[in-house]
Amino acid sequence: MFVLAVQQGLNGLVLGSLYVLVALGLTLVYGVLVQINFAHADFVMIGAFSAYFVTHALHGDYLLSLAAAGAVGALLGYLVNAAIFAPLLGKGSELRPLIATIGVSVMLENGALALLGPVPYAFATRYSAEVIRFGPLYLTAQSVIILAVAATAIVLLHGFLRFTFLGKALRAVAQDRETAGLMGIAPDRLIMLTFIIGSALAGLGGALLAPVLVLTPFAGTSVIVKAFAIVIIGGFGNIEGTILAGLLVGLIEAMTTQVLDPGLIDIVVFGLLLAMLVIRPTGLIAERREENV
Amino acid sequence: MTPLLEATALDLAYGPVAVCRDLSFQVMAGEAVALIGANGAGKTTTLRAVAGLLAPRAGTLRFAGQTIDRLPSHARLGLGIALVPEGRRVFPFLTVRENLEMGGFRHRHQRRHVARLIERGFAWFPRLRERAGQRAGTLSGGEQQMLALARAMMSEPRLLCLDEPSLGLAPIVVQDIFRTIAAINRDGTSILLVEQNAHYAFATAVRGYVLRGGSIVAAGPTAALRSDERVRAAYLGGSVGASGGI
Ligand SMILES: Nc1ncnc2c1ncn2[C@@H]1O[C@H](COP(=O)(O)OP(=O)(O)OP(=O)(O)O)[C@@H](O)[C@H]1O
Ligand SMILES: [Mg+2]
Repeated sequence: MFVLAVQQGLNGLVLGSLYVLVALGLTLVYGVLVQINFAHADFVMIGAFSAYFVTHALHGDYLLSLAAAGAVGALLGYLVNAAIFAPLLGKGSELRPLIATIGVSVMLENGALALLGPVPYAFATRYSAEVIRFGPLYLTAQSVIILAVAATAIVLLHGFLRFTFLGKALRAVAQDRETAGLMGIAPDRLIMLTFIIGSALAGLGGALLAPVLVLTPFAGTSVIVKAFAIVIIGGFGNIEGTILAGLLVGLIEAMTTQVLDPGLIDIVVFGLLLAMLVIRPTGLIAERREENV
Repeated sequence: MTPLLEATALDLAYGPVAVCRDLSFQVMAGEAVALIGANGAGKTTTLRAVAGLLAPRAGTLRFAGQTIDRLPSHARLGLGIALVPEGRRVFPFLTVRENLEMGGFRHRHQRRHVARLIERGFAWFPRLRERAGQRAGTLSGGEQQMLALARAMMSEPRLLCLDEPSLGLAPIVVQDIFRTIAAINRDGTSILLVEQNAHYAFATAVRGYVLRGGSIVAAGPTAALRSDERVRAAYLGGSVGASGGI
């Protein structure tokens, strides 16, 4: 019984790490721009397909495909910011870019549907079959990769934001864009950087999810809905809160899978979301709420 | 000698709200100039235009011989214009040291130089050294003003614009801050000062402009402005007995 609980805990951490990667991009962009990119879900999906094609069509290694997916995500983030958010920056229009990204999302999904069809793709890597045992516990090599990549990404992001000049400038832009400009920081460049980082994480998350996902052009949607819940539970724009909330949701999901029908998991997650909104509307780490990024 | 900063016939507006009309003023290299006027006269608006936070609707701004009207604030900082904004605007969730680092963003590739400039700020205001690792949002108003000033100086500007650095501060802190401003000016940095506290405005600046309802109504050496009746009226917004005390 105990072993089972620990095993499910491990599985929950793996799942949670994936959610964290996807949710971090949303939180970063929100923290810096107070905007939501609805096409983020499709960056996850396109990241997953990028990994699929690198491994299946080009016969590249899965680890290489992770890098490719991250790069594709970064490119998409760059384009969406350059086309939608940057031109409207500081023009006082909050709804227009939001709606435009919904349009981009619809275009990407239907474009992918036309190109790839509705039938789910089977994505197996040599790592999904390989099982690593730790005494009575086991993880697939894929899960170990997920944990390692996610942990590395989180540590790097944290270090970047805390200890580098550019990362601190990014936080300054999030806190007071106008004053950041007075410091000689070009806010538009850091906003671009935020999109690139956040979207690279989405692409990477997609590639890590791909082998466990039902891979269709709409694959991003199921993940993004949870990512939004995680961003809200973590306190919009709060990095630490998002990481905590992501791992928590992963754990809860893994635990409830044991006792509940999988179809009920979303009900549990969103029940938690509603409870959070009522009990702690400012998110898990309430006193740090105003620190966006 | 051409002025360091030269504003010619500036019209300033927020959307449809016209605020300043036909402003012309200059700051010479090394000079300290005061911009005075009652609440709502357009002082902050003028400084925002100089720093690049507000594009003028008409007129031109030249800095060190270069037209700067269309440059964004970050580019103007690169030319040597820094602003200590109204309300201090420290980054509340960055530490004191990180705030100073941001002020020195243009020197980010010369770490040692940034460290030296931070030391200079700490020497001006030892309180900041004690609070170096503390979040700026938790500082007192006076400490935040010291930080805002030290932060602006991190870029080693040629022109330092200050928007009411004495606002809401105890006299002893105000004294401290103005002593530093005077020292900065002595070291060669030009100053454009907006200040309600007439005593300090006239003690710091050699020349002044008086703004009223968005227009310059008087200009000249501060010694002359001090005794000008129009200045009194503009400064006190027409009402007798308000604070300021020339
Ligand atoms: N963002 C804005 N939108 C519209 N009008 C504004 C805006 N900011 C300022 N104003 C108006 O412009 C006028 C001048 O404002 P400004 O802040 O420049 O005055 P000020 O001289 O700095 O006053 P104070 O001494 O109170 O700081 C005021 O009438 C104000 O209402
Ligand atoms: Mg003002």
